Amino acid sequence: MKTIKKSTNQIFAILIIAIFSNISAIAQDKVTLTDPEVASVAVVANQIDISYAEIALKKSKNKEILAFAKRMVTDHSAVIKQAVALVTKLSVTPKDNAVSQSLNEGAEKTKKMLNNASAKDFDKLYIDNEVAYHKAVIGAIEGLLIPESDNKELKGLLEDVLPALQAHLKHAEMVQSKL
Amino acid sequence: MKSFIKSIVVLSILVFGINNTICSQNSPTTHTVLIKKMKFIPEVLKVKKGDTVVWINKDFYPHDVSKYDDNAWHSSPLDKGESWSKIVTETEEYYCSLHVVMRGQIILTN
Ligand SMILES: [Cu+2]
Repeated sequence: MKTIKKSTNQIFAILIIAIFSNISAIAQDKVTLTDPEVASVAVVANQIDISYAEIALKKSKNKEILAFAKRMVTDHSAVIKQAVALVTKLSVTPKDNAVSQSLNEGAEKTKKMLNNASAKDFDKLYIDNEVAYHKAVIGAIEGLLIPESDNKELKGLLEDVLPALQAHLKHAEMVQSKL
Repeated sequence: MKSFIKSIVVLSILVFGINNTICSQNSPTTHTVLIKKMKFIPEVLKVKKGDTVVWINKDFYPHDVSKYDDNAWHSSPLDKGESWSKIVTETEEYYCSLHVVMRGQIILTN
């Protein structure tokens, strides 16, 4: 039983590193993004966290995990709504790109892992991923999306999202420490 | 006689005016706390007993105002632009029960 748990954790650690290195590799390659591409990455990053939360709402029975997941759905939906309102106002259509695709590929693996997790392991796997994912997204917004935005309002929206992501990260770490 | 009445009138206006000022100094006032970028601003607010505090949500995420950490009193979730008020009778610690890391304090002063 211990070995199974250990190997699950190892696989999980590898997945997290893969997501991180994807993002940092992209940042290091100095990929340039147009504003429609920045908008796409922002929307995709928020959609991914909603999709993780939806799995948690189905699979978890832990009150704090459920409250956290519900918050993720509400807040990340609010960000998407703001982003859509802004791109509509600016007449910009979000454009798919290498970063969005890489985020989606990583998310597919994580969703599979979460969906296959046993009831016993799920809460920890979910919240560990939330901590890592929020760190990665904060890093990507600060290191890639904000520097790559030309439009002031788009830059402003990304800057406004950071305090929420930081609050989510602290909240996730609190839940994590209680598990 | 006329000047006497005049001075009475002037005096009463003065007294009334001063009284009014004293009254307004003692009467409860209203303070505003903004909820912005995941923070209560100001985080620590000093008020007198009986003062009213109004919280206004400026974020596009819903927030609430709840007694830390048992929710003995609490607002409902506030959408952007919505506000909630409370008359303060004691020193209070509060938080947002939706974003549990958001904290604030109201301190009574004499
Ligand atoms: Cu809140």
